[in-house]
Amino acid sequence: MSKWHKIKRADLKSFVSNLAEKWEVWVPYCTDGKWEFGIYNPGRDLDLPETIINVSLKSLFFAKRRPIATYDDNSKWSLKQVSPESRPRIIIGLHPCDIAAVEYMDRVFLKSKHKDTMYESERKRTTLVGMLCSEMAENCHCTDRGLTPDSTEGMDAAFVRVGGHYLFRSMTDKGKRIMQSQYLKMVDEAPEKKKWPAGKYAIASPEEFMEMYDDEIWDELSDICLTCGICTYACPTCICFQVTDEKYEGKGERVTVWDSCQLQSYSRMAGGHNTRKTPASRVRNRTLDKFAYSHLRYGMISCTGCGRCVMVCPLKRSFPQLGARVSERIREKKKGKAGTSARSKEA
Amino acid sequence: MATIELVPRPATIKKIIEESRDVKSYVLQTDESQKMVTRPGQFVEVSVQGFGEATFAVTRTAKDGRDFMISVKRMGHLTKMLHRAAPGDIVGIRGPYGNSFPVDDWKGKDITVIGGGIGLAPLRPVIDHILQHRKDYGKLEIIFGARTPGDILYKEDLKVWENDKKISLHTTIDVPFEGWSGRVGVVPVVVKDLALKPDNKIAIVCGPPIMIKFTVAALRELKWPDDRIFTTLEMKMQCGIGQCGRCNIGEKFVCKDGPVFSLDQIPDHAL
Repeated sequence: MSKWHKIKRADLKSFVSNLAEKWEVWVPYCTDGKWEFGIYNPGRDLDLPETIINVSLKSLFFAKRRPIATYDDNSKWSLKQVSPESRPRIIIGLHPCDIAAVEYMDRVFLKSKHKDTMYESERKRTTLVGMLCSEMAENCHCTDRGLTPDSTEGMDAAFVRVGGHYLFRSMTDKGKRIMQSQYLKMVDEAPEKKKWPAGKYAIASPEEFMEMYDDEIWDELSDICLTCGICTYACPTCICFQVTDEKYEGKGERVTVWDSCQLQSYSRMAGGHNTRKTPASRVRNRTLDKFAYSHLRYGMISCTGCGRCVMVCPLKRSFPQLGARVSERIREKKKGKAGTSARSKEA
Repeated sequence: MATIELVPRPATIKKIIEESRDVKSYVLQTDESQKMVTRPGQFVEVSVQGFGEATFAVTRTAKDGRDFMISVKRMGHLTKMLHRAAPGDIVGIRGPYGNSFPVDDWKGKDITVIGGGIGLAPLRPVIDHILQHRKDYGKLEIIFGARTPGDILYKEDLKVWENDKKISLHTTIDVPFEGWSGRVGVVPVVVKDLALKPDNKIAIVCGPPIMIKFTVAALRELKWPDDRIFTTLEMKMQCGIGQCGRCNIGEKFVCKDGPVFSLDQIPDHAL
């Protein structure tokens, strides 16, 4: 781990510009009020948001549509796998919730019997440079998920803003490689650790969620969810996909495409049998997957508290609220107050 | 270059067997360098270029490890394309994937195989295994149900099993059919009629979801313990390696943690 270095805010663009001469560099850009990572463009202003970026990092490691093989559609068999990208790149400006999501994807795609080698090359070629949060935005609740907005854990290097300048340091060998810059001056200063408030969406333990499968609450929750699936696309850890063949003018590609457990087609089989036909069964599956199944499979829940699902939800209710509602019901049940859910009381 | 697990390797269709009015079996052969070592109960992903990929149980393997067989019921788009294929055509395969029937743990036990329709496909390797290792196992009983006589699969095998004095075979069709003089009745009813006793026995069940559900209920009524009833589950699978997400039952993935489960390993809602 390097010492903290100081860099003037006014020098940030020159620093990044120098990096972009050698590396493929990704930074956050704001278009129509929405932040999203894009390839560094010297013609655009550069700023590092100090809280949530609207679009998650997921697609940078696992694209929405990802060709895995090509074929000649005029042949019966010519499927050839594509070569994964290996050019080194740096992503600058990510937050602790983004890092937690990458850690989750690593557990699914790398710490698995069959590695996803395309994901692996995306990870290998990438240096992760964080921007520590200075505030929690309206829907942020990473502190409810065991994260700290100004933690450098999992990052290769990190910026933190202190007044009119940034402090910057590297934590790994990958991060060390970008420390050679005239704009960085070693200092004896360190950022102050903040005290962070809890979010709005505290949840029960995975074990407690596991007890809720047969509860009536899912029916009630499906009343406030359209199962439109938009939250799964915005979620940095929702990595369900399907594999499909696409062809255009004789050229074919086999691609993985993001899929969503909230859509009816997700589990529908060729004969029409569907294990999750009802909205309630799909809401249950996703809620339990986020807060319990993921923990049992990979040792971490698959919610990082980023709140992007609330930002995109057409009803502005979304999953943190569902999770919190189930947790509330768990507490009610424990107290022995509620033998029945609100729904069955009405009926 | 590192191999992408989701990209299949080619296999040639060596032979096509018309099993019933909507089921065909395919003998597939891989390159010599890529032998298929498959345990009973495992599955493969089979692709038709341009049309996608689906999951099929390996229903028989050749001793040399190059040839293996799948049975395909015409159900959706991909199976329709497979039904149009001819010997010599090339398909893509991935796998084998999934766990398998713990046949080694069953040594010394009687085995009851209960299959409904195409559900017999993943169970046939268990029958083959027992017939190849006769001394290791006790009695073999096979109950096979089909909707109509026209839906009966593996007719050659059924003849062999019928003539084998050590196998008790019960073939049944769902409802009476002109010209059928054999047993009539759905599988769960046959299981009850035969009053199958659980003593020193293992039961393996596969078929349409409703058949599995009621057969399991019948076995439980006959006092079979859950840890001696095995099934192989079908869910929509895509990747076969526990990553695409859709085949989960609770925290378990059918493709990776299954497809073979004993009933004490899965919740009742999985049936």
